[in-house]
Amino acid sequence: MKPKTLIATVFLAWSAIAGAADGFAALDRAAAARLADPASHGAPTVVALWSLDCVHCKKNLKLFAELGKLDARVRLVTVAVQSEEAGLAEPLDRLGVPGQRFAYGADAPEALAFALDAKWRGELPRTLLFDGRGGKATLSGVVSEADARRALGLAAR
Amino acid sequence: MVSASLPHPATRGAPGMATGRAGRLVRLVAATTVSLACAAGAFAQAAQHDHGKGGGKPARPELGTSAAFAPDGALVAVSKDGQHVVLHRSPDAGATWEAPVVVNATPETISADGENRPKLAFAPDGAVLVSWTHPLAKPYTGAIRLARADDGRGFAVPITVHRDRSEITHRFDSLLVTRSGQVLVTWIDKRDLEAEKAAGRGDYRGAAIYAAVSQDGGRSFRPEVKVADHSCECCRIALAEDADGAPLVLWRHVFEPNERDHALATLGTDGTPRGVERATFDRWRVDGCPHHGPSLAVAADGTRHAVWFNERDGEGRVFYGRLAAGAVEGQRTVGGERAAHADVAIAGPDVAIVWKEFDGERTRLHAEVSADGGATFARVVLAATAGASDQPRVIRRGEKLFAFWRTENEGMKGYPLP
Repeated sequence: MKPKTLIATVFLAWSAIAGAADGFAALDRAAAARLADPASHGAPTVVALWSLDCVHCKKNLKLFAELGKLDARVRLVTVAVQSEEAGLAEPLDRLGVPGQRFAYGADAPEALAFALDAKWRGELPRTLLFDGRGGKATLSGVVSEADARRALGLAAR
Repeated sequence: MVSASLPHPATRGAPGMATGRAGRLVRLVAATTVSLACAAGAFAQAAQHDHGKGGGKPARPELGTSAAFAPDGALVAVSKDGQHVVLHRSPDAGATWEAPVVVNATPETISADGENRPKLAFAPDGAVLVSWTHPLAKPYTGAIRLARADDGRGFAVPITVHRDRSEITHRFDSLLVTRSGQVLVTWIDKRDLEAEKAAGRGDYRGAAIYAAVSQDGGRSFRPEVKVADHSCECCRIALAEDADGAPLVLWRHVFEPNERDHALATLGTDGTPRGVERATFDRWRVDGCPHHGPSLAVAADGTRHAVWFNERDGEGRVFYGRLAAGAVEGQRTVGGERAAHADVAIAGPDVAIVWKEFDGERTRLHAEVSADGGATFARVVLAATAGASDQPRVIRRGEKLFAFWRTENEGMKGYPLP
């Protein structure tokens, strides 16, 4: 197993277990850069940026949770682009969103945003989609299932 | 609240930890298991410190702050401290600050991020008016609150500005006192969206802009009126006084089908719009919220100077332009690719734009200053910070312009503009 693949495998295994917990990991610049790197993702992966205030994010989170149910290869990582606060897990729990959960940690929000996606200007929802083979797409706004499947390298329904 | 920073498993898999591939995998998994166990403990402990919905403290202070110069020359700022809005006074333009004054004696939840921060303005009699959004228990809901201090320090009990007391969105307040003494509060309101949903129609675009006017210096407000349907849901609203004294409202709108350009309305004396027109034409189509509202300043000759953020030709940029009937004159980009949250103000022939811009390591406070009504601008960098920061503001100090910026590391600072 190549080192990158090994890291990705452990990362994904950890993600799956961590997703079972209710908590959020504090995102730092290094973790943000890893999430943004296609080499970190050995399987189709959605990195969904969202916040409690984002009224459009729920649609995406629901879609991504459904995609994960339909295809066991799909991994989902959520990043709340805000500090953790009471009630932050509630929308994710209510929508049954699996996967590792991050919230912004102590690093400057601008630095975290830049590390996640240098082209991102703060609009939400913002989604990073990886096909697991080095391909990456970034999308702003509500994502259609067809666009998500295409970016993840999944067969169209 | 969780403040523990979890080591990432990939970090623990750094070269040198194990000799063989199998051994490396075993050690990685073991290390991951340990970190997860620690994490679970941290989360369990943190959960005990939660104080219920809306009452939990975020890991970092919300930095959203507004500032203005008082009639007596003091620099005054309003921000949030826990469940209180607090007012700060500086006798020396931000070099030192007096002990803050509590605006709302009874604690309540308060919004204080960059797009949705407490506001302040001065009534003609010298009274200080402070408005803010008070989030309610349900997500995205809130009430618009306003408190008045006759002497600038002792605040009366806050009032809710709107008659509609439904637990729905009334958020993103803006506050303006016109030269004639009219007090205007505008906000983003979802009563029309809720009504459409209740009627079984779920296709209402965005939210709505509402306004309420006070003719008694903010002691009471007339019933609110709708300015426009179909605003964006989460961008700050810009208010300015037109050359003839009428209030102008500039906001991010959702034009059909989902173009998040800006709209401009001129309001009558009771807040009723005289007309709503499209103000920008960048045609950014997105079902999402930019969290990036505009700013507007009107010159004595009526020229409407605006700054705003939009995606145009696939690039998200801050723009400056002069809003004219059905067109933008002199539209150009402001700053670089990561310029953000610009503000604009006018004092006589001086026009100033401030914005912040992250350079990969630090966030810098930039300004463009014009002494000829916006014909030419000179650019200057005013400050930089390595930490979190609020949106910058440019405000009037008599006949001069002044930049104000609150950062997590440096605090509230003022910068006289040339």
